[in-house]
Amino acid sequence: MKRTFDTGNAAITEAAIRAGCNLFAGYPITPATEIAENMSRRLPQVGGYYLQAEDENAALHICNGGSIGGLKAMTATSGPGFILFADAFGWAVSSEVPVVIVNSQRVGPVSGITGAPGQGEFYLSRYLTHGGNFETIVLAPSSVQEAYRLTVRAFYLAERFRTPVIVLADQMVTDGWETLELPETDAEFLAMGLEVVPRRIHPGPEFYPATDDIDVPPVVLGHNTGAACSDWTPTDRGHDTEDITWQHKHAWRLIHKILNHRDLIDEADQWYLDDDPEVILVAYGTPSRVVQNAVNAARRDGLSVGGIRPISLWPFQDHLFKRRAIYLVVELNWDGQLVREVQRAAADGSQVHFWGRCGELPTSAELLEDITTLLKHEPLARDGWRTEKW
Amino acid sequence: MAKRIEILISGYGGQGVVRIGQILGQAAVNQGLYTSMLISHGTETRGGYVRSQVVISDEFIDSPVVERPDFFCAFSGIAYTMFKGLCGSQSLILHNPDIVSPDPGLASPHWGIKAEAVATEELGDAVFANVIFLGALSSRLALLTSEHIVEAIRERLPQRFHEKNLQAFALGRARK
Repeated sequence: MKRTFDTGNAAITEAAIRAGCNLFAGYPITPATEIAENMSRRLPQVGGYYLQAEDENAALHICNGGSIGGLKAMTATSGPGFILFADAFGWAVSSEVPVVIVNSQRVGPVSGITGAPGQGEFYLSRYLTHGGNFETIVLAPSSVQEAYRLTVRAFYLAERFRTPVIVLADQMVTDGWETLELPETDAEFLAMGLEVVPRRIHPGPEFYPATDDIDVPPVVLGHNTGAACSDWTPTDRGHDTEDITWQHKHAWRLIHKILNHRDLIDEADQWYLDDDPEVILVAYGTPSRVVQNAVNAARRDGLSVGGIRPISLWPFQDHLFKRRAIYLVVELNWDGQLVREVQRAAADGSQVHFWGRCGELPTSAELLEDITTLLKHEPLARDGWRTEKW
Repeated sequence: MAKRIEILISGYGGQGVVRIGQILGQAAVNQGLYTSMLISHGTETRGGYVRSQVVISDEFIDSPVVERPDFFCAFSGIAYTMFKGLCGSQSLILHNPDIVSPDPGLASPHWGIKAEAVATEELGDAVFANVIFLGALSSRLALLTSEHIVEAIRERLPQRFHEKNLQAFALGRARK
């Protein structure tokens, strides 16, 4: 292992290269610019292609085109660019194009604040395009080391599921510096539990089988397989159709190829849940690090507290919240997003509370105060503009 | 219980706030320790607000947030005002008295170093002030060895800047 001190942006770059990425198209934006910079340096070294697009919509379309041309593609952005992916993301979903999308969340809405973390795209990452009729795979790293692992994982899942996979990071993961261990040999890479799926080529003619099968090779043009690839509803052979029966079959596949293989996607950290703690803190991304610290400290004080960190965010892991408990959901936004899913999934009789802020991580001390209050069954103190309504 | 050191560095873009953190972090990694550095900044490359939160520990770092700094390098009056509230009696505040006036109501010990003036006088450029502060800070950092910091300076800075930065480091380290 090569032990380094580096950023999440560097970790994501090295992971993509290791996973076989050979096309990056993007448009620079803080705090993901360094991914583009690093890829522009690294890709030529491995025979790959780097392209700066005129905007993010074009960037993801270029990635889609490259992927349909047989390349493994990635793009990276932040909120203001992420929203521009809407059109190209739909193409990738419907035409089942493997592609990896990194979003480093900063403070929004719109351009908001650049150099500070936010978590405003929890729902946007689920529904990054219009029209419904699909499921999305979203992974959320909370450290530089995990940004490496989950980027490799994103390429793996994208190939196996034939779908875009989103790595939903935040400014503190991508801009932050941490101890980073990079595998130097295949054995070390495998020992990290990582795997690379090489690009395969669908031989045709049933390019879009009406099944929930994964490991169906993607459509790759230029190999005499005769595939058509468009934004219209495809028949199983990839011909455009306006027949609602085919649409139903296609939508069923887009939904169930993901939902019926959750075992390959679902991932979470669970802290101290074995003795059914009274209060359970929930967070993803960097806030989960502070949550872990606060839960550890509370446990040392003998408090009945546990923690849950979803690592895969979508499909949402309802099963994590089947304990009846007092949940405190910690997020980097003021409006509450993850908390809505927890409220929906939580076991009957549970209480679900919200701790939100933007641009700045919570402190462990603040969370400990709220844990203590909740254990006393008292209402959380609110400073006037923090709200429990979401 | 882990040995955990929290260091907060804040000032303007261009003062080397991030660079100090990079050197400390690199030194910690080279020494086999765990480290994290969160960076918050404005949109500007130069002149905007910057803050580094550095944590060094002998075990995995859960929270990377500096809540009770052991050391606070305040490189601007604004940074000092913004973060002095985090400092307790255990926090050593390093500052330049030409730039930051200590708050007499604060329980934290202050260490005033006229780093910009020393850098200009001894090395011909105020730009080395941050490494003078790094040298001073390192003399109080039991967790990191001076050798590892020197090695990290060599790794993190281009070779043509090594000599003057190592001089700046020695100048800072010699301060009492």
